[in-house]
Amino acid sequence: MQAVILAAGEGKRVRPLTRGRPKAMIPVANRPIIEYVIEALLKNGIRDIVVVVGYRKEQVTRFLNQLDIPIEVVVQTKQLGTAHALLCAESKIFGDFLLLPGDNYIDPQSIAYIKDIPNAMLVKEHPNPSNFGVVMLEDGCVTQIIEKPEHAPSFMVSTGIYSLKKEFFSKIHGNDITDAISLMIDEGEQIQAIPADDWQDAIFAWDLIKMNRRLLSTLLPAREGTASRQTIIQGAVRIGKGTSIGPNTIITGPVIIGNDCTIGPNCCIMPNTSIGSRVTVEPFTSIGNTLIMDDSMIGSHSLIKDTVLGERCTLADHTSASPVSGLLEIEGCVTRSEFGAVFGDNVKGGSFSLYHNSIIGNNVTIEEQGCLKSRNIPDGSTVM
Amino acid sequence: MCGIVGYIGRREAAPLIVEGLKKLEYRGYDSFGVATVGKTLELDKHRGRISGNTKSALRLKGKIGIGHTRWATHGIPNDANAHPHLDCSGTIAVVHNGIIENYSELKRQLTARGHTFRSETDTEVVVHLIEEEYGTKKDLLAAVQTVVPKLVGSYALLVIAAKEERMIVARNASPLVIGIGDGENFAASDMTPILEYTERAMFLEDGDIATINASEVKIFNKGKQVSRPLELIDWSLEDVKKGGFTHYMLKEIYEQPQAFYNTIRSVNSDTLPGFVLNPTSITVVACGSSFHAGLIFKYLLEESCRIPVRLEFASEFKYYPPPIEGLVIGITQSGETADTLTALKQAKAHNCRTLAITNILGSSVSRLADTTIFMRAGPEISVAATKSFIAQLAVLMQLVNNISGRMCSDMLLHAHQAIEEILLIDLTDAVAACTGVKDIFYIGRGPFYAVALEGALKMKEISYIHAEGYAAGELKHGPFALLSPETPVIALCTPGETYGVMISNIKEVKARGAPVIAVGSEGDSELPDIVDIFIPIPHTSPSVQVLTSLVVLQLLAYYTAVALGRDVDKPRNLAKSVTVE
Repeated sequence: MQAVILAAGEGKRVRPLTRGRPKAMIPVANRPIIEYVIEALLKNGIRDIVVVVGYRKEQVTRFLNQLDIPIEVVVQTKQLGTAHALLCAESKIFGDFLLLPGDNYIDPQSIAYIKDIPNAMLVKEHPNPSNFGVVMLEDGCVTQIIEKPEHAPSFMVSTGIYSLKKEFFSKIHGNDITDAISLMIDEGEQIQAIPADDWQDAIFAWDLIKMNRRLLSTLLPAREGTASRQTIIQGAVRIGKGTSIGPNTIITGPVIIGNDCTIGPNCCIMPNTSIGSRVTVEPFTSIGNTLIMDDSMIGSHSLIKDTVLGERCTLADHTSASPVSGLLEIEGCVTRSEFGAVFGDNVKGGSFSLYHNSIIGNNVTIEEQGCLKSRNIPDGSTVM
Repeated sequence: MCGIVGYIGRREAAPLIVEGLKKLEYRGYDSFGVATVGKTLELDKHRGRISGNTKSALRLKGKIGIGHTRWATHGIPNDANAHPHLDCSGTIAVVHNGIIENYSELKRQLTARGHTFRSETDTEVVVHLIEEEYGTKKDLLAAVQTVVPKLVGSYALLVIAAKEERMIVARNASPLVIGIGDGENFAASDMTPILEYTERAMFLEDGDIATINASEVKIFNKGKQVSRPLELIDWSLEDVKKGGFTHYMLKEIYEQPQAFYNTIRSVNSDTLPGFVLNPTSITVVACGSSFHAGLIFKYLLEESCRIPVRLEFASEFKYYPPPIEGLVIGITQSGETADTLTALKQAKAHNCRTLAITNILGSSVSRLADTTIFMRAGPEISVAATKSFIAQLAVLMQLVNNISGRMCSDMLLHAHQAIEEILLIDLTDAVAACTGVKDIFYIGRGPFYAVALEGALKMKEISYIHAEGYAAGELKHGPFALLSPETPVIALCTPGETYGVMISNIKEVKARGAPVIAVGSEGDSELPDIVDIFIPIPHTSPSVQVLTSLVVLQLLAYYTAVALGRDVDKPRNLAKSVTVE
């Protein structure tokens, strides 16, 4: 069986994290989301995988090259929609195939449910169905898909994962997959709806915190770096090669730390935290429920909670990022959320700065004693 | 410069050899050929690329075979001059990489004795000499052992003959590696064609002659049996694949952050000998891009350590009479560049300590020099050097750092981030300005002069646009006469002591009507107003801006070449490493 993974779209609502990579390449628990999708396919014995790339295609291709198995890459030059992306892969598909979004987590078991049923989709209940295609069901079959309704009639949504026949390509009209599925339903074809066990999508950047927590829950402990004898490590903690943990640091799992990091001394890494490679955490800093990407630095005496930190950020000493509830406008739509902060890449944060419920764009500089609450700072700004 | 591959074992040889030759195409690709021994000796050779016409080669029968992909040195690329070459009776076949310097004399003698030559190559004398000896001795190994001392020059030879269940190989000053498989053995110019089948390899020394059959390898040197260590090669085959990128060059450009970081991490003062860390004077010999890396090294080291650095083209080095003093550094990606090897030999003859910087483990240069630093770029397939160049700079910058007392370790450990960042740059306007023109000039000062040279080299290599790099001050001494609205000038103008004078140079160029594309620091308020196209790079330390501006010029050359529809990975007339002088 073959599988097509769509990884061409940017994922605008996850900005500023998508400047250098599409959403599918955002690392969660230190691995890009698309890697979980590929792994789930491999666990089901599906090795013939085609990935459609587009936005920042070189970054995706470079990553796919590092994997052990050969993966076919096709390019969608303009991002016109999911059906258009699938059409780009048409010449590589010879029979029944699976179609999956590259930027959603899916567990291997759910793929096992669907892979042998042609014309089926994985569905899942979601507390905010308005952001997805809401599906109406009758006897386990889909009767209608309503794309992003304002008032959703049901909590059941499409995961974007389908099991399809080669003939599906002839049904494609318009640029979206759901249009083609609706056409099939109108023509009287049956599309089975199969509930997924575990499926995660991050609509907004702060949803990555939850996805990170979920993916860390199955973490297996391992230790390749060095930890001082005075370090206390509890629970599932994974420490990468070349990382050193200073004395009197307390790490409570699940926590994953990448390669060549320097943590501590006297730090506190609380549960549900992912730290990338080459990250420095200076003394007397506490981090919890947070996702930190490669090459960042967090100064001493800081508190970082419920936060996403992009690559190459430098936060000076006495930084505080902690969750409060507030309203933010994202892509023209006002949304309520509760988190600490989302930093893009290469942010320079001054000392004694406070962040609550704020999104800080790429290459932003925040001067000393900045205080941001429910703010969305555009790329390249300087906050005085 | 050619690639050779040989196989003996349990499988059909021809398909395996054709696949191997495809992987060696980067060593040369103007003609190719395959010979196999089954019931008889069979041969198929053509002018042109391997990719196109393999059908007839794949039909050859036999489980012993040799193949060759050629980059012409003696004789134009045509069917007759393609290897393998046969003797008069058509029972012995030879492939050869290198140059037989005394071939014309040998050819005269052989013609006088009645041999018929079918090609214009130097190689054909070898097979006729073997034919004579084989006729009297009836032993292929003994025949090759008698012939080899008569040859002057460089060679890696593979010899097979009808009714012989073995392959004889010989090496002198040309790369040759033997791959040890399970019931099968390989011989090739490098590991790339072999990796798919085995990771165990033996590197031959100069003067070695080996007889290889399916189960064993016996190596002789000066008539005595010798043994060479078995080495494990840890490159995975994934490393040498193009993946989903349209060209190897683009793939390699995107691998640069990793290559730089890995190399910086791998070079440290604990493993470097004292004569490298405390030199009194340094001479750098290199060719092509490696020479430009040497020039950047010269600027950086002389400024921070006040140690004089002499920099010479390896090919010109022998014309400078002694004294050669102090440490001599040879830089070569492949480790096989003939000129650099000769220059290092000459340095050794003058009792100098030598340091080699190369990307290939077990290459000739690493066995020649007193000590070797390997760059961790991984295999580079594209002819135009990109990641190996950045990795060379990583080695050289780390050397400067170690010699100067490790002042900038931290900066080097984070430099890859800036390279990653610069890969996101959009060059559409600059590419459009370069595609329609016949000449481009590159100008810079200080280390950015070397960047200008390298940028121009990349541009002419792959886009075939005439491009020249100049020290900005030299432009007025002649090349100014060439400026016109049809000659874009690419100026490297970053903050520092050269900034002010670069600005006035740019204004002078503008006054002559030439459009200016400037690479400058992000946030520069003056530069964008006076130039036509401004390309911002992150505002970092000068050494890191050297790296990022280089990557910008690589990308500019790449996208210009793609826009012009050039064969980026295999530019015309060029080969990856130049193993002839």
